Amino acid sequence: MRKTVLVLAVVALLFTGMIATVTAPTVASSNGMVAAVDRYAAEAGAKILEMGGNAIDAAIAVSLALGVVEPYASGIGGEGYAVITMADGSKFAIDFRSTAPMLATYEALTEKGLRIGTITRTPMGICVPGVLAGIREAWLLGATLPFSVLAQPAIDLARNGFLIDQTFSQTTADNYELLLKNAFEFLNEGFVWETGTLYKNPELADTLERIVEEGIDTFYFGSLADEIEEFMIETDGFMRKSDLEIYNAIIREPLHGTYRGYDLFVPHPPVSGPQLLAVLNTLENYNLPAMSWDDPLAIHLIQQALILGDIDRRTYISDPDFHDLPYEGFMSKDYAKTRFMVINPGRVFDQPYASYLGNAYPFQEGATYEEALLAAFAEVASNASDIDESPSTTHFSIVDKDGNAVAWTQTLSSFFGTTTYFKGFFFNNEMGNYASSYRPGDVINLTGGMRPRTTICPTVIMKDGEVRWVVGTPGGARIMSMMVNLVVELIDFNLPVDKAIRLPKFTGMWNDTTLRIEAGYPETTLNFLEKVLGHKLNIYNTYPDLYFGGPNIIAVEENGMMIGAGSIRRGGFASAPEF
Amino acid sequence: MFFVSTGLALKDPGDDLRLEGPFLVTSGGQSPGALQFTVIAKMVNIDYTFERLVKVGEVDISKFKTFVVVVGASGKGLGAAGIDIDVEINRVVELAKLAKANDLKIVICNLEGVSRRGVSSDRIVTALAPFASVYFIKTDANEDGFFTELSKEAGVPLATFDVTVGLKDVLAEFVEKPN
Repeated sequence: MRKTVLVLAVVALLFTGMIATVTAPTVASSNGMVAAVDRYAAEAGAKILEMGGNAIDAAIAVSLALGVVEPYASGIGGEGYAVITMADGSKFAIDFRSTAPMLATYEALTEKGLRIGTITRTPMGICVPGVLAGIREAWLLGATLPFSVLAQPAIDLARNGFLIDQTFSQTTADNYELLLKNAFEFLNEGFVWETGTLYKNPELADTLERIVEEGIDTFYFGSLADEIEEFMIETDGFMRKSDLEIYNAIIREPLHGTYRGYDLFVPHPPVSGPQLLAVLNTLENYNLPAMSWDDPLAIHLIQQALILGDIDRRTYISDPDFHDLPYEGFMSKDYAKTRFMVINPGRVFDQPYASYLGNAYPFQEGATYEEALLAAFAEVASNASDIDESPSTTHFSIVDKDGNAVAWTQTLSSFFGTTTYFKGFFFNNEMGNYASSYRPGDVINLTGGMRPRTTICPTVIMKDGEVRWVVGTPGGARIMSMMVNLVVELIDFNLPVDKAIRLPKFTGMWNDTTLRIEAGYPETTLNFLEKVLGHKLNIYNTYPDLYFGGPNIIAVEENGMMIGAGSIRRGGFASAPEF
Repeated sequence: MFFVSTGLALKDPGDDLRLEGPFLVTSGGQSPGALQFTVIAKMVNIDYTFERLVKVGEVDISKFKTFVVVVGASGKGLGAAGIDIDVEINRVVELAKLAKANDLKIVICNLEGVSRRGVSSDRIVTALAPFASVYFIKTDANEDGFFTELSKEAGVPLATFDVTVGLKDVLAEFVEKPN
């Protein structure tokens, strides 16, 4: 008996040792790294790396785990986008954005006396979820471990529970009224989940186990799809099994751009990769490396470039399978020169922002900026709608010991999506990202099968073929501002990743004439921005403020050391295997 | 489990303070606490009316016997309501004055614990303190003795509870059962 106990103890120690990880807000390691918004999810990924899995294996585990520990921000009822760069040089972009159900039309809404704006928190606001299809494609592309192994950490978290953090509690409190009405079963016997409470989700554990047993296809073609359809019919939603059956995650090569000699691999439309490149291309014309993070002139130039990029995004970004738009012109260096010419280094824009829309069409055909500007400008109609995007979403970054990298952003759109709760998870409300009512020529009119536009932008940055940073963030309409802030801080200001993530941030958006700026900038900087450059300041006095986003980043040093930094604005963590 | 401590001037709160329905429930700060109060009110069959933003002039206070302000300042909630903290304090204080003039018992409740113990939440509580008949407070909101002090100063009872649902037992103790 004593011998048996001893053997068991040794086995237990070995097992514990096998899955040991180091987890903290900032971690350095050369064994691989995961940075995510939640410590349990980050650890889930690091444990997979520890077991010998690669970055794709870990990404699948983290994606599923995030759906458990942050059910309000993402999950199998949601969607997203991933950029993957493999050590062998291959690169993939997986578009698992949701699509509009075929029954969802403006006519159908009008018949019911509804508009998109009134259905986004109802089952009618659900678009076809893509997360599981994205996971399937990622697994097929390069996973090395069985799906059952990769799903197990999420199943364990759901089955055994975990301690609720402040973000979980606060987000539940912020949405309590809707949850009380639409998702009572999710609440803690009708109350907000409080920080420190043990949260279990056995229903989601059952659902995930079922997906493991029956395969991911059960969600799109099988018995789970049947049950989803039944639920949609009962609750008056638009989605049907036929929508699930025709859904596909799309594999492409990521778009490529450069910034000061670095290579950026970014998402295709309808995701905001071209916008990131367009803004950076504009900024490349300035000598930002000679400035500092708190230089008011740098803040001004970046903010004005962000505004121009955001104005253009609304006209040039949509689902490329439905709209032939000049996004390659939009992200060209020559087009950026024309945008550079629009910015006044000494003063804010003084005309309505819509009047600053650029013409990217000539650049789609390869025109130089001289040719384009010498030619008469063609009139470009602004086919743009006003969408107030949610601050929800989650992003994680992974690099394994071999240098494979994954930048993965997933979302339900708003926190808790539609608040439609089904088998332990929430369905997205991506419907809110289409134009609220039909407008002729609008590039985001609701169309069955079309993917809505989004600001998410998971990105891998390389130098001389080696991964240097894996970057991405939630933050709705502020995502691009956070991304550009970070890239400039990392590349132009040469700041370490943990400092970059901590520095206060600011925004530049097409529909905001103020400069929203997080507390922490020197008084002189703020005064200069206001009094000399003419900015209307909107200072956020709480630091850090999740409004500005919650990036989780990995930096890879030239010696191979990886630095993972979790978001300080959302309690993020980095986790590394110990080996 | 809950605990009742007694204000200095009140010898036996159990005898002297019985809360009768109907209750008028409002938020003080627009956090979700007030809505959670209504969930518990339903559990213990209290006759209540919940008006998140009710103002003097919009309510016939004589219909009620008890006025409950569930305090919790939420920037998001105030923003959604289109009001600032000063407007909110003025609203609940004017209601409390009206309630007191009409002999209603006035309950100040913190249901969300320490997460609603910021400067703004404390301003609301302090402004309402002169009108309080009783405090129902989640224990972790009183770790610094803030509510104990207010309760002692005013000589009114303070009932504390460890978890949100614990308010159910507090209400069961204080609320007069209908005959």
